[in-house]
Amino acid sequence: MNKDQNLKNSETLTSLEKQVIASIQADIPIVRHPYRHIARQLNIAEEQLLDILRDLVQRGIIRRFGATLKHQKSGYQANVMVAWHVDENRVDEVGNIMASFRRVSHCYHRNPTAQWRYNLYTMVHGKDEKNCRDIAAKMAKKANVDTYAMLFSRRELKKTSMTYFNSADAET
Amino acid sequence: MKLNDIDKAILNRIQSDFPIDSNPFGAIADELGYSEEQILEHTLRLRQSGIIRRIGANFVPHKLGFVSTLCAAKVPEDQIDAFAKTVNRFEGVTHNYQRENEFNIWFTFIGKSMKEIEAALNKIKNETGIKTILNLPATKVFKIKAEFKV
Repeated sequence: MNKDQNLKNSETLTSLEKQVIASIQADIPIVRHPYRHIARQLNIAEEQLLDILRDLVQRGIIRRFGATLKHQKSGYQANVMVAWHVDENRVDEVGNIMASFRRVSHCYHRNPTAQWRYNLYTMVHGKDEKNCRDIAAKMAKKANVDTYAMLFSRRELKKTSMTYFNSADAET
Repeated sequence: MKLNDIDKAILNRIQSDFPIDSNPFGAIADELGYSEEQILEHTLRLRQSGIIRRIGANFVPHKLGFVSTLCAAKVPEDQIDAFAKTVNRFEGVTHNYQRENEFNIWFTFIGKSMKEIEAALNKIKNETGIKTILNLPATKVFKIKAEFKV
């Protein structure tokens, strides 16, 4: 768990840092010296790029640096978003129990609304839909929560990575 | 595409802590006991086949001065495609799924401020005639982990 996710304050970024972020928010080239390639485009030395990247990781601005896989091809064929209705007094306790499951990749608290009373959300990964349902049932039992919705995805309508900065932003 | 041992070793190694090093694939090769050529060749193949979607950085939006939220809408079956088209036009919408529920369209939205996102949601409502879109920003993160052992 990355507790920094809960902090609201943002970091001050230099224009060079924004340019670096713009250069690694999509896909780095699969070549012998990818950073040399990127540094050349930014017109800086490779060592300087490596230093900035290490610093962005160290400051927790980069949460994860690496490959994003297509789930369907990585062995866990099925996943489901489970929305839980949890007594607000028990959210911390239940959230930590849910997060302790290996097959849970994400666990967030969100405020309920008048039209949607669920307040805790987990992404559950399994071999198939039945396996996902079994895991959710286990979670329900362990956390002692009995009201939940299994939101199986039927179709991916969009999946992309965020463009935080483009080269124009980075110049300001 | 069938994954062999070297593919699996690469996938398990590079989902996080990809080396920030002049010669990252060489560093991975040394760690895993293969040649750099083998690592490059297999990684390229995994990327081209789509098993690897991308190799790059994932950021904490708040730290970059952005806010993020999860939105859900109730959309009649025959309007889903048009609704998705309108929603997906926004750059801040990074994930969008049709799900099995009366709230059947779920999308994530990243923006410069919640005000900007709310304005976008109002625009979507006006354009599509879909009146109900929930805006559910996270108030606490218990876990975020996007790694999968293969």
